[in-house]
Amino acid sequence: MKFQIEDVTVYFPYDNIYPEQYEYMIELKRVLDAKGHCVLEMPTGTGKTIALLSLITSYSLSKPSSPLKLIYCTRTVHEMEKTLAELKFLYKYQVQMLGPSAGILALGLSSRKNLCVNPNVVSAENRDSVDAACRKLTASWVRSMAIENRNVPTCEFYENYEKVASNVVLPPGVYTLQDLRVFGKEKGWCPYFLARYMVRSANVVVYSYQYLLDPKVAGIISKEMQRESVVVFDEAHNIDNVCIEALSVSVRRQTLEGATRNISRMSQEIERLKATDAGRLRAEYNRLVEGLAQRGNLPIADTWFANPTLPEDILKEAVPGNIRRAEHFLSVLRRLVQYFKGRLLAENVEKEGPVTFVASINTQVGIDQKMLRFCYDRLHSLLLTLEITDTDEFLHIQSICDLATLVGTYTRGFSIIIEPFDERMPHIPDPVLQLCCHDASLAIKPVFERFQSVVITSGTLSPIDLYPRLLNFDPKVSRSFTMSLTRDCICPMVLTRGSDQLPVSTKYDLRSDPGVEKNYGKLLLEMVSVVPDGVVCFFVSYSYMDGIVNSWHESGILKEIMQHKLVFIETQDVVETTLALDNYRRACDCGRGAVFFSVARGKVAEGIDFDRHYGRLVIMFGVPFQYTLSRVLLARLEYLRETFQIKEGDFLTFDALRQAAQCVGRVIRSKADYGMMIFADKRYSRHDKRSKLPGWILSHLRDAHLNLSTDMAVHIAREFLKRMAQPYDKTGAIGRKTLMSQEDLKKMHSNGGGMFS
Amino acid sequence: MSHNETNGEDIRFNREEEDDDEGDGRGLDAWERVYADERSWESLQEDESGLLRPVDNKTLLHAQYRRRLRTATSIRIQKGLIRYLYIVLDLSRAASEMDYKPSRMIVVARQVEAFIREFFDQNPLSQLGLVTLKDGVAHSLTDLGGSPESHIKVLMGKLECSGDASLQNGLDLVHSLLNQIPSYGHREVLILYSALSTCDPGDVTEAIQKCKSSKIRCSVIGLAAELYVCKCLCQETGGSYNVALDEPHLKELILEHAPPPPAIAEFATPNLIKMGFPQRAAEGVISICSCHKEAKSGGGYICPRCRARICELPSECQICGLILVSSPHLARSYHHLFPITPFDDVSPLVSNDPRKLLKNCFGCQQSLLNPGNYSYHLLATSILFHI
Ligand code: SF4
Ligand SMILES: [Zn+2]
Ligand SMILES: [Zn+2]
Ligand SMILES: [Zn+2]
Repeated sequence: MKFQIEDVTVYFPYDNIYPEQYEYMIELKRVLDAKGHCVLEMPTGTGKTIALLSLITSYSLSKPSSPLKLIYCTRTVHEMEKTLAELKFLYKYQVQMLGPSAGILALGLSSRKNLCVNPNVVSAENRDSVDAACRKLTASWVRSMAIENRNVPTCEFYENYEKVASNVVLPPGVYTLQDLRVFGKEKGWCPYFLARYMVRSANVVVYSYQYLLDPKVAGIISKEMQRESVVVFDEAHNIDNVCIEALSVSVRRQTLEGATRNISRMSQEIERLKATDAGRLRAEYNRLVEGLAQRGNLPIADTWFANPTLPEDILKEAVPGNIRRAEHFLSVLRRLVQYFKGRLLAENVEKEGPVTFVASINTQVGIDQKMLRFCYDRLHSLLLTLEITDTDEFLHIQSICDLATLVGTYTRGFSIIIEPFDERMPHIPDPVLQLCCHDASLAIKPVFERFQSVVITSGTLSPIDLYPRLLNFDPKVSRSFTMSLTRDCICPMVLTRGSDQLPVSTKYDLRSDPGVEKNYGKLLLEMVSVVPDGVVCFFVSYSYMDGIVNSWHESGILKEIMQHKLVFIETQDVVETTLALDNYRRACDCGRGAVFFSVARGKVAEGIDFDRHYGRLVIMFGVPFQYTLSRVLLARLEYLRETFQIKEGDFLTFDALRQAAQCVGRVIRSKADYGMMIFADKRYSRHDKRSKLPGWILSHLRDAHLNLSTDMAVHIAREFLKRMAQPYDKTGAIGRKTLMSQEDLKKMHSNGGGMFS
Repeated sequence: MSHNETNGEDIRFNREEEDDDEGDGRGLDAWERVYADERSWESLQEDESGLLRPVDNKTLLHAQYRRRLRTATSIRIQKGLIRYLYIVLDLSRAASEMDYKPSRMIVVARQVEAFIREFFDQNPLSQLGLVTLKDGVAHSLTDLGGSPESHIKVLMGKLECSGDASLQNGLDLVHSLLNQIPSYGHREVLILYSALSTCDPGDVTEAIQKCKSSKIRCSVIGLAAELYVCKCLCQETGGSYNVALDEPHLKELILEHAPPPPAIAEFATPNLIKMGFPQRAAEGVISICSCHKEAKSGGGYICPRCRARICELPSECQICGLILVSSPHLARSYHHLFPITPFDDVSPLVSNDPRKLLKNCFGCQQSLLNPGNYSYHLLATSILFHI
């Protein structure tokens, strides 16, 4: 369908549109007009992605003189592919409506691991080793060596790509990663470098958060993006954590051991080079004197990581004299590693700010702030000079320099925390030195500044006024949309009491109460006997899950549960969990029925959908607060309080509730679906907790469902499931109109003219 | 014995699910009614639906049922008149639950009994058999046969439940039984499923595919909630899937299966079937009947082709395999193909305008002006026309 929002003709690839999609577009349009940023909460299953894509592409089409670029950030490759698939569908429609003038170039960009087509390289086990394997074939010195010696292996895809280099053009269209690989194979061009080259001129780029938020990656990939861009962060409810992680570094014993190995390897190389090609070292020295940390414009294949600090903080100065010589730099690194080793011996938790830390480094091993700041670039330069290609081996020393550079650059918003062991497992010594960033606004600041509009959107962004504070920006629009439904297909409940009417909670004082564990077990048992197919349970932590499952096992409840459904458990091992999920789905498909035990904040809670029969009920056992004794968290809370006046309790509750909402939101992924959500903890009935749930859940949470015991919940579940099993009218012709056609929109316009214009 | 007409039914399996609109308008009032009722235990709850349960449920349901019968038959689609139906009863542990009073099992048995009578009433040429699921196995309770009483007797004698239900075993058994029947017969299974899972020895999807390729139409009526495999089964084999809300709704759903369903498309080539119209044997003659294999006196029928004696009509001659029917049977089956023209319900109370009031029944021309006569005639017309 095609309709008008003010001066923009929107091309929407479906015959009907949900009212919330339409409103979403209107708000978005307003933001684009104002060239500002926004926060929009809209539940999954309402077609948020297609609304976004079709408005922004249509907007761009309507202004051919100054086309907007769309940079769409997703959290996972899977989401990226889904987005591109929708875009493809939309693109087809737009071309069909407008002819070839609607042609745009849209593509996904991911790491080499997902794009490489060289069979010898992609087979490597992880991302870093694929990167390194590719570098071994494509580094500039390898290639020049190959010209003289035909036995030196190179990558033919890269060679072919290089030959056409800047003349390559990707015909208009939408390219998923798969499409890029196919295209690359066909032409014999490397899809990874092709994609990296094309993102500059593409109209739509879909890639991961890191490519914008992590300065190390953003500096290379997103450097040349135009200002007239809309940046969309989809599923952005955890964006503050992504920002923080991008600027945090941990150093453990293994890191230091690895770094020591790296240093001795580098010193051997230096010795070797001195004997064979001393000129190269001298050349590097001269370059550094001239103030170029890097060799000007590096060939595309040589770029590794950019500086870990934010663009405007990078010093445009010459590298300090005392680390210009390779040997001197190595000795600085050696001393630094030695210093860290000493700090890791601490017997008690230590916490200090960057300033004290830098001062202590200076007094103890004589490395000053400026040297620290240049560590990262200096290392990068050295590695290039030494022509090291197995970069995956050098990640350890890289982390050290990363930390050094960050700590040498920032004086606020960070702290250094040294913990001799994990608080929860005090008998296992596992010392760790962490540089923690507390301020999510740091990493995202350049994004807000560089791009015209930034859209932060997700199904769960409540309370919606907190995100602008955490990220320190001023949104033009912040709004929460609800879902229009033809029937009440979600049924949230708050369960406060067990079958014996005693309160249930995972609060500290009740946590290991056997009565609570028993009540939780009974709840699950009753539920598995009335709910068909899949049931998903979320626990507050791995240790809590282990404990309660053990006690259920001992009391025989687990066995009874298994009479109704098979039980699968998420573990910290990704392979095991994938297998468990696979079997869980199979059990749901074949009618055996299954329960999946999972952990809030785990992999499953974030990325896996339990839609349709894979999840008819999700039970959230307890309130998933963060581990509040964690030093890192405490430090962050302190910072938030001092800098943004966000109260500790508010932040913790907000964080717990967004995790809970994420967990329970896994069961509804479309309007045709249905599912129940049980919040099993008495604390959910309190207004301050509950009110932080997203609007689309709250609007279905009836007052009568706020204080339930197990038997009442079971009764409600039975009735709900029967009701949902009845045939229904999807278009909502009876009473509730939830789909609008082109005509409806036109009518709306002529009737309430002023309403939307 | 298929009457070939336009066949508008295109049954397709949609993986996206939730896409099987049973296009009739029922359901809504039914569930909202129950919903309103169920809310009563929470006295403080404001009611959204605002609907009260009608006092006289039975007449309402009956009217609905007749209405549906009418809409179902008014479109001229091909129907299978000779049906071979297996009713599969889930007698697993779940059937002992007491959300239906006194228990799911008793309620199901009661409704199945009513259904069996209605079934033979509407499909005199058809046969029916019973299968039970319990303790993980499927058990054939009665073989295909045309006598309602014998099925009901066996069923009522075997009412106990235990163990798990296995859909796969049930389908496998029914498949092996229905595979033997002649090709003109329409193979159907109606499963009354209490359980919310199925514990199968192997892969249930294989059993579903087997039923599909053997053109067995499987329908399921669930008692508690929607189960994904059941949905798959019905979508794949072209059956219907419903979940009952309460006993009246269950009754309604079961009775929906009494009129013949539309024939499966590829199966619907017109077929000529040989049938015999046997004569009644003379009273007092003693002969060995071919069905019970024992001497019986009088009251039987003689096969016109091989002269063997059989006790009941309709049936199949045990000796020569001829289908034996009586002409009223045939006539009664035919009414599904030639339905009455739809008529409007006119209540004498509603219409005060004497000119609008119908004076005579359009079927039998008797006067309708006597209010006492009224309901009788409305009913009578439909039945008379149906025969
Ligand atoms: S150049 Fe491209 S194709 Fe060749 S190894 Fe590297 S990523 Fe793979
Ligand atoms: Zn006999
Ligand atoms: Zn015979
Ligand atoms: Zn009459």
